[in-house]
Amino acid sequence: MIRFTLLLTSALVAGVAAQAQTERTAPLVPETATWDGFHGQLNAQKYSPLSQITADDVDQLEKVWEVHTGDLSDGTGDLAATVWSATPVFANDTLYIGTPFYRILALDPATGEEKWSFDTKSTLEPLTQPAIKNRGVAYWEADEPIEGEACQKIVYLGTMDARLFAVDADTGEPCADFGEDGVFDTNHYNTVNARFPTSLLQPPTVVGNHVVLGWAGSDWDWAEAPPGAVFSLDPQSGELQWTFETLPEDIRQQTGTANVWTAMSADEGAGLVYLPIASPSPNYWGGNRTEDIPYATSTTALDLETGEVVWSRQWVHHDIWDYDINSAPTLMDITVDGEEIPALIQATKQGFLFVVNRLTGEDVWPIEERPVPGGDGTIEGEVYAETQPFPTKPAPLLDQSHKPDVWWIADAVSLGGCSKLWDDLWYEGMYTPPTLNGSGVFTYPDSSGGVQWGGVAFDPESQTAIVNFSHIVQYIQLYTREDYEQQTEGATNGEGGFHPQTGAPYGMSLKTALNWAGMPCWEPPYGEIAAIDMGTGDIKWRRPIGSSQRYGFYMPESMGSPTIGGPAVTAGGVIFIGATMDAKVRAYDEATGEELWEDIVEAPAVSIPAVYEHEGRQYVAFVAGGNTILKDQVGDQIAVYALPE
Amino acid sequence: MSITQNSYRFGAVLTVAGGLAGAAIALYAYLTPLTGINGSAGALLVIVSSLLVAGAGLIIALIASRFGRNVLRVLTGLGILGTALAAGFLHQPMLILAMVVAAIGLILDCMRPARRASLMEGALL
Repeated sequence: MIRFTLLLTSALVAGVAAQAQTERTAPLVPETATWDGFHGQLNAQKYSPLSQITADDVDQLEKVWEVHTGDLSDGTGDLAATVWSATPVFANDTLYIGTPFYRILALDPATGEEKWSFDTKSTLEPLTQPAIKNRGVAYWEADEPIEGEACQKIVYLGTMDARLFAVDADTGEPCADFGEDGVFDTNHYNTVNARFPTSLLQPPTVVGNHVVLGWAGSDWDWAEAPPGAVFSLDPQSGELQWTFETLPEDIRQQTGTANVWTAMSADEGAGLVYLPIASPSPNYWGGNRTEDIPYATSTTALDLETGEVVWSRQWVHHDIWDYDINSAPTLMDITVDGEEIPALIQATKQGFLFVVNRLTGEDVWPIEERPVPGGDGTIEGEVYAETQPFPTKPAPLLDQSHKPDVWWIADAVSLGGCSKLWDDLWYEGMYTPPTLNGSGVFTYPDSSGGVQWGGVAFDPESQTAIVNFSHIVQYIQLYTREDYEQQTEGATNGEGGFHPQTGAPYGMSLKTALNWAGMPCWEPPYGEIAAIDMGTGDIKWRRPIGSSQRYGFYMPESMGSPTIGGPAVTAGGVIFIGATMDAKVRAYDEATGEELWEDIVEAPAVSIPAVYEHEGRQYVAFVAGGNTILKDQVGDQIAVYALPE
Repeated sequence: MSITQNSYRFGAVLTVAGGLAGAAIALYAYLTPLTGINGSAGALLVIVSSLLVAGAGLIIALIASRFGRNVLRVLTGLGILGTALAAGFLHQPMLILAMVVAAIGLILDCMRPARRASLMEGALL
């Protein structure tokens, strides 16, 4: 019934949205080179029209400045490790960046010299995460600034303890009129199942005069958790404009999350903001939420002015795999079979690329509902989805239809340990439900993806989408509460991959399929980057990206590396990306995938590069912060490159 | 001491020099940011293995027992090979070069006739 209502709603709003398109006031692709948001632009294309650096001269790039913020921890002291994935934001002739110690830095874009800094003095306790995380800042400026008045240009930074700070972009002084003394505290709205603060690790999405704000929670620990909500705030006053609740009201108490923890995208001209929505809690058991939850694990388009749903597409029904929609959909105008289509592409952890009309949510290429496995009868209260959506084009980036093959070298080193593990694990494709039996089930692609929050880049000139993705095999096992307590006696939460899912009848463990030496048990490649022709949906090229590294030893580049972070693409025909374990930043030829340039940075650059122009010179900025999911290497480096003058 | 004796000693000296150079290169890579392996267990491993190669080269030059010397030559050869292989996986070409030097020294030492070697031992000891 709810699905019918959604379709009806979609049909009704399609006309409104189409009208909005014809009345477009803001072009989808900015007419000038902008990099003033997490994905470069609101369309999440991560595209720069700058062409000073080309495929022919990119090999001459040199590091022109670097800054070490000092805001880092390797986790061996009192502080948890830092995870820094901020995209530098170029606006107001300044490079703004947030740090994992919740400071804002305003830097000269040509030299890195500090203009000002602002310290939120926020707690550095990892209240909802295994690490101290930050993904940067957001920027807003008034259409008609009032001369002499403060806060006509504002930088926003969220904190682990769920507060959003607004700071004058020129001076670094707090904007006192915003919220309470310059702070909007989402804790005030955290009233249902308030097990943890609703951490603001992802910068808000600023669209016109709306600061649209999601939040991050604590995965795997609670069955009942704060229910997902997205807030729209007035950029200057912090006044709440609207709130969108992702869960039906009658079940908010019994479940939770389905939050938006990653970046959103927006079509300002059409008046739509696009929400990539996560799965409900708990992640690996759904017996407490057997009702239809249509917005969970979905892409949902909201009317920017009202927060009303315009259309929504659910990508995983009754998600019990933690397959959160983890990246902003990338908006694009494409031509398919001679028809111009206002489209979006939604990448997922499963390695799917769903392409739909961004105004209506309708398929561009058919998306089919296909039968998926039910459970094995060991899990109490579970009700499995009978079908799941599968895109027919583009092809899945990973083959999730059968068990990944065992890598013979890792198997030999483990004296057959990998093969034995493989025999103990159940897998009938990626939607194999968790079980109590054996060693559990494979989660492949795993909960970190597939495609991660860097999402898809898009070159509107060549109609080419660029996406990096990982091949990581994990396995999940559920335990009855009694077994779980026995397994984890004396252990801390998360140790050994165990998490309680408190409130559910089952605890769980999630482990990566490695042998005793830490070698992946599955066959390479471990990470790739691909280019897709969005006119046909065909893959133009794909290749391994980077090197995996452990204990300092590099695996061959032909095996690739898992990646976290995303690419940027330029009119010069160059793709810039860090993202790999080997802490290198690279440039690829967009046309062929050939690697053109690389340099080493302080830690894996698990962020999206920023491409900007200042005083006639094109720069590429990488943040090398590291992420413990990849390896235990942290950094506090901003490294900026340009061609020699 | 004859020229021939000097050339025999040269092999062991070269092995020691290669091992020490390897240890220095690995130490630099361990301590210096942006080498790709700074602070890593792999870098520590090749520091230790390079020092072992140098130490073994020294003992080969000094040891009296022919059997012991031959055993050490084999072990040193394996150490050089392993260190060079590790250097390859650590992306440290200079360390590979140092191991090539150590290997050349070991080969020269292996070409030393047993009787000559004993004479030289007498001179050294």
